Amino acid sequence: MIAEDLALLRDGLTRLLRDNGFEVVAAVGDGDALVHSVLREEPDVAIVDVRLPPTFRDEGLRAALEARRRRPETAILIVSQYVERSYADELLADGRGGVGYLLKDRIIDVDDFVAAVRRVAAGSTALDPEVVAQLLTRRRHGNPLDRLTPRELEVLALMAEGRSNAGIADALVLTVGAVEKHVASILAKLRLPPSETDHRRVLAVLEYLRSTSD
Amino acid sequence: MVEASETTARRARVGRVGVGRALLYLLTAAPLSALWFGLLLAGAIAIPLTAPTPLVVPVLVAYRALVWSGARLEAALVRDLLGVEIEAPLARFGAKGYLGRVRGVVGDPALWREQTFLFLRMVLGGALAVAIASAIGASAWLVALPAMYSSVDFDIGSWHVDRLGRALALVPAGVAGLAVSWFLVVGGARIWPPLARVLLAGGAGTAGSTATAAGEPTPVAHALRRALPFHAAFFVLLNAVLIAVWAFTTAGYFWPEWTLLTLGLLLAIHGWTVLVQGSWLGPRSAATRALRVHAGAAAAIGLFLVCVWAVTTAGYFWPMWPLLGLALLLGGHALTALAATRDRERLTERIDVLTTTRSGAVDAAEAELRRIERDLHDGAQARLVALGMSLGLAEQKLASDPDAALQLLTEARVGAGEALRELRDLARGIHPPILADRGLEPALAALAASAPLRVDVSAHVPERPPAPVETAAYFVAAEALANAAKHAAASHVEIRIYRLADVLTVVVVDDGRGGADPAGSGLSGIRRRVEALDGSLRVVSPPGGPTSVEAVLPCAS
Repeated sequence: MIAEDLALLRDGLTRLLRDNGFEVVAAVGDGDALVHSVLREEPDVAIVDVRLPPTFRDEGLRAALEARRRRPETAILIVSQYVERSYADELLADGRGGVGYLLKDRIIDVDDFVAAVRRVAAGSTALDPEVVAQLLTRRRHGNPLDRLTPRELEVLALMAEGRSNAGIADALVLTVGAVEKHVASILAKLRLPPSETDHRRVLAVLEYLRSTSD
Repeated sequence: MVEASETTARRARVGRVGVGRALLYLLTAAPLSALWFGLLLAGAIAIPLTAPTPLVVPVLVAYRALVWSGARLEAALVRDLLGVEIEAPLARFGAKGYLGRVRGVVGDPALWREQTFLFLRMVLGGALAVAIASAIGASAWLVALPAMYSSVDFDIGSWHVDRLGRALALVPAGVAGLAVSWFLVVGGARIWPPLARVLLAGGAGTAGSTATAAGEPTPVAHALRRALPFHAAFFVLLNAVLIAVWAFTTAGYFWPEWTLLTLGLLLAIHGWTVLVQGSWLGPRSAATRALRVHAGAAAAIGLFLVCVWAVTTAGYFWPMWPLLGLALLLGGHALTALAATRDRERLTERIDVLTTTRSGAVDAAEAELRRIERDLHDGAQARLVALGMSLGLAEQKLASDPDAALQLLTEARVGAGEALRELRDLARGIHPPILADRGLEPALAALAASAPLRVDVSAHVPERPPAPVETAAYFVAAEALANAAKHAAASHVEIRIYRLADVLTVVVVDDGRGGADPAGSGLSGIRRRVEALDGSLRVVSPPGGPTSVEAVLPCAS
């Protein structure tokens, strides 16, 4: 389902998702309607704009968090004209997957966007590269990230966005095997435990980045 | 046409039709002058007596209320009998607290204006009423003399009026006296409306006196100046007549000295007032002018009293007491006038500051709009044009060359992404979304996080300031941070922001090489922004550093 106040974007997004094999069960225009529809329609994923009436501030984000509190299995993908790290922190705060935070720009790259929606619906994460960049910029002296090679940093950034090994391999034009080696090396250098699933690994990485970048 | 007929109507009303009412108005001064004398005297005694005690507050308030009621009564009389619309004076209330109330009453210029009017009605109005009543009475008596000369015993000097011929001979004098009375009534009635308009009418009077403070005569000054020759002529004529009568009759005790002294006092005050109001002697400020009028009048009254003392007993110097009172009043007036002048100076200074900062704010807004227009024109707009062209080309080639069309569509998509990014940066530069959403602390934290150097933010803002203050504070920090990174080659910046009561302070200190130019476009832009909010910006940046930028913003919400 979709929560977006601008009819132009709401209709465009609905068409885009239907053309890509999704079923749009509800398209609403404000926060209260969002919470209400989530509880009634029980969608796999809710795509929510941060700015919604009546305040046009972070109404959408608050409503999405509220919906998730009342129905914890709801997956949330926040889309916005701007990204703020602190909003990502709030989304990730419960340490569970099924959340995403993307710039509206990313919708233009339809394949990538559709893949991100599927990832979030499946319980993984999708973070905008700009958020990841914000997570990576503030480094302190003696930060373990300094020990990573430039290639490993690239892989780490893509991991943080929520991509799978295959996705990372695609993006960097590498083999999946090479990516697996980089990932193992990164986890070792950051002293993170290897995880059985992709999205647990992603959450661990994000948790790590959030805790070291403050 | 309408205006002309209105003017005629007004002239008729004041000139002929309204003579009865004008006379009535002038005669009301007789009983009222006794009333106002009692009121002003009671105030002049009760207020100084109670001044050292808290009792002065109710006394002042009661006195103020009585003066106000008197002013309302006078305003109603002017309106109903002279047909001149003036606003009734407004009731005012002083601030709370002992000193606040005292200041509120004593410092109220309306009180002083109303008192002045009551005083004028008492002295000038009373004298006029007596003069007019006696003139009319005497003239009427002379005109009626032929009908009753036999039953009354009337002498002018040694000239005994006991025959009809002699009584008839006096009728023209009576008629002339009636004509003089008529002039007195019409002329006297014209003095009061301008006086009432300035001294009684609440807002209009104040505005009038302020607007004309720069040199143009007020209506009162104008009327006073025009009346002066008549007044002088009246003085000379009346006294000449009286002295002639004195010479004709007893020629013993020189009783006309009393009219000479009394009317001379009035003429002296009148003349001095006109002199001070004249532009060649009058200072610019109305308050100083009023003070000079007061000083002159006090001197004249003092001289009058000394003369009275001299021509009477010349024994115990009793005038010292009223002289003391006059001096005290004058001193009080001088003190309040001084305070008023200082207030005016403060206001003038404030107006100067507001004028400067307002034009600064307008300039800053103008420059900002121009920058946004340029950015839109060169950035997003140009990209959208390119996007449209790519799409148009792709449309053309779709059938003939699908591969090229696909290439163009990809280009279009990338271009759309670029346009979006530029628009986002532009929006952030106008007003960062997180500032509106979450307030200063998260916005500054986000700013710090995206800066290319180490930034520590400490914030204590328990209550969100008004939006313009928040925005200004944010841009102070943003500009200082940008300067630290770009020009000062700093590696560490500290941002402190705290709100104490109604003042928000932003301090940005870097460890760079200093030498920032406070007149540079960035810093002067935020300075105008801060000053438009009545705040102040201080930039300390010695060569070699460090640079500190401090903005203090009042946030009375």
